[in-house]
Amino acid sequence: MNSTEILNLKNQDVTENGTYKHTLQPIVTGTSVLGLKYKDGIMLAADCIASYGSLARFRNVQRLHPVGKATILAGSGDMSDFQHVQNLLEGVMLQEHCFDDEQEIGTKSIYKILSNVMYSRRTKVDPLWNKFIVAGIENGESFLGYVDLYGTTYQSPVIATGFGSHIAIPILRKYAEPRASDLTEAEASEILDNCMRVLYYRDARSFNKIQKAKVTSAGIEITEPYSLSTNWDFAESIRGYGA
Amino acid sequence: MTSIGTGYDLAVSTYSPDGRLFQVEYAEKAVDNSGTAIAIRTKDGVIIAVEKIVSTVLEIPGSSRRIFPIDHHIGFGSSGWVPDIKRLIGIARDEAWEHRKSYQMPIPPKMLADRVALYIQAYTLYSSLRPFGASPMMAGMHGDEPYLYLFETSGAYYGYWGCATGKAKQLAKTEIEKLDLSNLSTRDAVKEAARIIHTVHDDSKDRLFELEMSWVCKESEGKFTRVPQDLYNEAVEYAKHSNNDDMDDDEEL
Amino acid sequence: MIAMTEAAAKQNNRWEPYVDNGGTSLAIAGEDFCIIASDTRQSEGYSINTRYDSKLHRDSFNFRTEKISLATTGYSADAKNKHDKEMHSHSIAQMISIIQYQKRFFPYYVFPILGGLDQEGKGCVYSYDPVGNMERVGFQVYGSASGLIQPFLDSQVGFKNQQNVDKTRLLSKQEAYDIAIDSFTGATERDIYTGDFLEVYIIDKDGIKKEVRQLKFD
Repeated sequence: MNSTEILNLKNQDVTENGTYKHTLQPIVTGTSVLGLKYKDGIMLAADCIASYGSLARFRNVQRLHPVGKATILAGSGDMSDFQHVQNLLEGVMLQEHCFDDEQEIGTKSIYKILSNVMYSRRTKVDPLWNKFIVAGIENGESFLGYVDLYGTTYQSPVIATGFGSHIAIPILRKYAEPRASDLTEAEASEILDNCMRVLYYRDARSFNKIQKAKVTSAGIEITEPYSLSTNWDFAESIRGYGA
Repeated sequence: MTSIGTGYDLAVSTYSPDGRLFQVEYAEKAVDNSGTAIAIRTKDGVIIAVEKIVSTVLEIPGSSRRIFPIDHHIGFGSSGWVPDIKRLIGIARDEAWEHRKSYQMPIPPKMLADRVALYIQAYTLYSSLRPFGASPMMAGMHGDEPYLYLFETSGAYYGYWGCATGKAKQLAKTEIEKLDLSNLSTRDAVKEAARIIHTVHDDSKDRLFELEMSWVCKESEGKFTRVPQDLYNEAVEYAKHSNNDDMDDDEEL
Repeated sequence: MIAMTEAAAKQNNRWEPYVDNGGTSLAIAGEDFCIIASDTRQSEGYSINTRYDSKLHRDSFNFRTEKISLATTGYSADAKNKHDKEMHSHSIAQMISIIQYQKRFFPYYVFPILGGLDQEGKGCVYSYDPVGNMERVGFQVYGSASGLIQPFLDSQVGFKNQQNVDKTRLLSKQEAYDIAIDSFTGATERDIYTGDFLEVYIIDKDGIKKEVRQLKFD
């Protein structure tokens, strides 16, 4: 490849010797997102922080993204890749709107499109560095699915990404999964708050400003960011860590 | 050719001695051959109605529509050559999407109108090009404010409270002028639009037609969508009813 | 194993595009039937992603990440349209091999097992490696518990370690079914990547019967 050809590849990152540069690590990242099925639909939770390494870089970021009228995309991992995916899906939704057939693309289709994108990018060994939860309601049926940078997909009544898969999943499996079909909204909300609180205590990349979202037959609702109550009294009794 | 164009109509890049562009005017003729399209702007929205002429009963109802969404908040209604229109639709959609991607914001109708007009105008400059045989109308919202534009084949465009193109544009315009547009509700505008299309439709020339209606307004949450089926039915009912009344009046006279 | 470790991948300055999601699949061919079974657990490391992710796609695959979707068991909807008749098992078997070999230098990290009936109505099992080597066998097990189940099948289905028996004898349907179930209940005890549910397909001249059984949830 000569230099002119290299210059022509505007959108690719090309190094001096003509090889492609691919993402090898995420840069600005969001930590865990959680999702569970309950009686009336699906509920999701995520905090509002985007970290730059260990720096709490952006502290007012929305990571629960509505797609259409009955689907929410929750993203963890690289935030620029997440935003790229948001744009991509916005394009898909606009294309659908332009068909003018009075139909909107459903949750499962969005999930399928997204997982195809993720898998094709991993096959190019240039992944979108994310772990996503897709949640929504289609034909009265609730849907909760996961897709990540490998294109790995699965569905489950409770899903958590990143640190949450270690810390929140045991809580969700105990309190939410066995009762998914009769869990009330208040109970679901409380379980998620508790999970987010435990994550805030243990995950150094998390934050106590969080948002929740739900999809029910009535549509999407995303809460304003709010703070979780925490109790650090126990820190008084801890000695030997600089205090 | 000799009688009208007298040689000044061989290319769009040539003016006639009296300063006309014949090719552009011919394009207008092409538009005047197609079904009528009208649009009405009210306080809080715009409604587009198109008389899609159906040439054979074999055509599948609802196919090859003449109203096109461009973005969530903008749509085109059209008269003229359908393939030409589709080219403009493509341009408009690209422009709208690029704006969205670049600014995370829907394109203001005014801005899109300007860009589409520029594109139409460019096709009046070169001898190797043929002007668009299309005169689309654009309905859109910017915040709560409705906008309506009509593009001419020259690339000129104006904002309107009401406009019409196609076969019966004169008659349709006269009908729209009778309406009290500053007080008309958008729902009533839908009914009037249906009535006008039914009124101006010429049964003796084109036997079959389909009425297409889309709107963008407060009620549609700022989205350019088809008029809801129940309102559509109501409007058609109203249109047929008032036309029958007219006929009764005629008989009385 | 094909997969490099994460550390090795970093040293090579390249992202490792494969993951192992665990799980086990097996198939046993009989005289006029075939049994295919697979657990439904999907894992990543020590975490269980989900307890129900089907690995049987009307035929049997293993290792999730790269799932090629082929419908089979002596039947493929796509192929049927093209040929206007049902596709034979051996044709599907060959097709899978070709699809895999097409990606010889960036393989699909899957170990497919194809089970069904052949043209003569005899039970058949085809097994593959990730790049399309194919062999028709009497029984096959792949996946995270293959090391536990293979010797069991060698003994109980292939009679490999037995003396004074007819080693060509094929199992009855009930025998094969019981061995398939026992294989998984046994494997579940020792392999953390195998468990939750067991999907069993029993294929004979009457068609395909699907069964779902509980495995241990731990």
